[in-house]
Amino acid sequence: MGTDRYAYQSCLRRVSPLPKLLLTVVALVICLCCDSVAVGIATLILMGVLITALGGLSPRVYLHFLKVPLIFLVIGCLTIVAGAYPAGTAVVAAIPVGDSLWGFTADGLWLGGRIFCKALGAVGCMYFLALNTPVTDLTMALGKLHVPKLLVELMELIYRFIFVLAETAANIRTAQDSRLGYRGFRRSVSSLGMLASMVFLRAWRKAERIYTALESRGYTGGLTTLNDAYRPGWGLLPLAVLTAAGQIAIWFVEGRLLG
Amino acid sequence: MKAIQAEDLCYTYEDGTVALDHITFAAEQGKVTGILGANGAGKSTLFLSLNGVLTPRSGKVLLGGQPVRYDKKGLLELRRRVGIVFQDPDDQLFSADVYRDVSFGGVNLGLPAEEVRRRVEDALERTGVSHLRDKPTHALSYGQKKRVAIAGVLVMEPEVLILDEPTAGLDPQGVSDIMKLLTRLRDELGMTVLIATHDMDIVPLYCDYAYLLGGGKVLMEGTPEQLFADPAALRANHLRLPRIAHLMEVLRDVDGLDADRSAATIGAARREILRMLKEENQ
Repeated sequence: MGTDRYAYQSCLRRVSPLPKLLLTVVALVICLCCDSVAVGIATLILMGVLITALGGLSPRVYLHFLKVPLIFLVIGCLTIVAGAYPAGTAVVAAIPVGDSLWGFTADGLWLGGRIFCKALGAVGCMYFLALNTPVTDLTMALGKLHVPKLLVELMELIYRFIFVLAETAANIRTAQDSRLGYRGFRRSVSSLGMLASMVFLRAWRKAERIYTALESRGYTGGLTTLNDAYRPGWGLLPLAVLTAAGQIAIWFVEGRLLG
Repeated sequence: MKAIQAEDLCYTYEDGTVALDHITFAAEQGKVTGILGANGAGKSTLFLSLNGVLTPRSGKVLLGGQPVRYDKKGLLELRRRVGIVFQDPDDQLFSADVYRDVSFGGVNLGLPAEEVRRRVEDALERTGVSHLRDKPTHALSYGQKKRVAIAGVLVMEPEVLILDEPTAGLDPQGVSDIMKLLTRLRDELGMTVLIATHDMDIVPLYCDYAYLLGGGKVLMEGTPEQLFADPAALRANHLRLPRIAHLMEVLRDVDGLDADRSAATIGAARREILRMLKEENQ
């Protein structure tokens, strides 16, 4: 959970999650709807500026976080761009295989580029949210937006106990490893199976204990809590408008230039 | 005055294990009462019965002299007045946000938001975890989680605070900090504190009164000194004397000195040794 650590250190941590969510959603929707290379790249850069200038994150970290989805995006877009075409199609580069041509067409490249940039812009938007908002604040905001309570509470519990279970699993793994449980393929598979069943059993038992603990604190079916005071963060609203205006302006300029 | 009492309390688990066998005990208002016993002696079951999570098969629990009612309203009242801190803080902290977790009990009491906030601040301050409010729960150390868990119970401002093995898994500094926190709660707020423990060395230092539990029964009760006067009973229950009391026992039984076996703290042992030295010189 790399982003979470930075979210807790962000300068925007104490700002109410609602304006942050609003800025993200507006920028995200515009970026996806415009479906253009320029808007995608502009969104990515705008979000980068907002994250570093407002959140106080170093640009190096932002670039580092971009690397992870970049790999998926490159692989994903390559499969869109590359394809088999019937002989005689106007291709940019291709090799003939039997009756067909395997390679790139100009249209395919253009489509791939658009999807790539659009996705990258969307990733930038999501990072603005993820790197500035702890998950607990986000779920609180979802609750305020009338997302069903059951869903929100499940998200909160799952998020909290991912860490507990991961720690349990890591401890079991170390214990197995220290007794040579991962020497050789057969043994590794059997050890891993044992680990999975142990984690499941412990989760089961833990759930019971958590329920008891909640009950002793007056649990009657709802995990309602109070959050620490937020700064209202209305300053983000004009920024959201500016971002949206910038995105749309770039979309128009791009449309003009490409005729 | 007795803050919380149990009379003839019996509890049997579904599989037939008798966990509590006619337990009668009382915790004095504004005192720290220790419940000593080996693993499986029934300490945790007793605690869950005192907070109404388990309903006893027979016998009753009295809170401030009044028998507890097990209807919805009675239970909420019981849980407000009797708080439990569980042994593993990871069982208790359900939120990844420290502030929100602490606020949970207060919100459940149906208090207005400002009052909950005041109590959360107070609880964070008392347990010394105010500076951790900006951290996620999973980034805290074990000792810090334990304190946050205590804050989450203090926010309900209970009259009786029950702690299951409060010192287990803590480093010596952590043990001393937690126990000092409990003594402060007793002295400043007049809170009644109940601790289950098999850490014998903290008993003479922090407990005003103690019960020895074994096989779901109360085997002995008294001040720590009275309990340490019968080391055989402690040993039969997989416990031991505090180290210092053990030293006194050896001085008395092996070396034939006139040492008082109930001197279980460094201060008491020091006085006792100085007294013996003085008598020797005369």
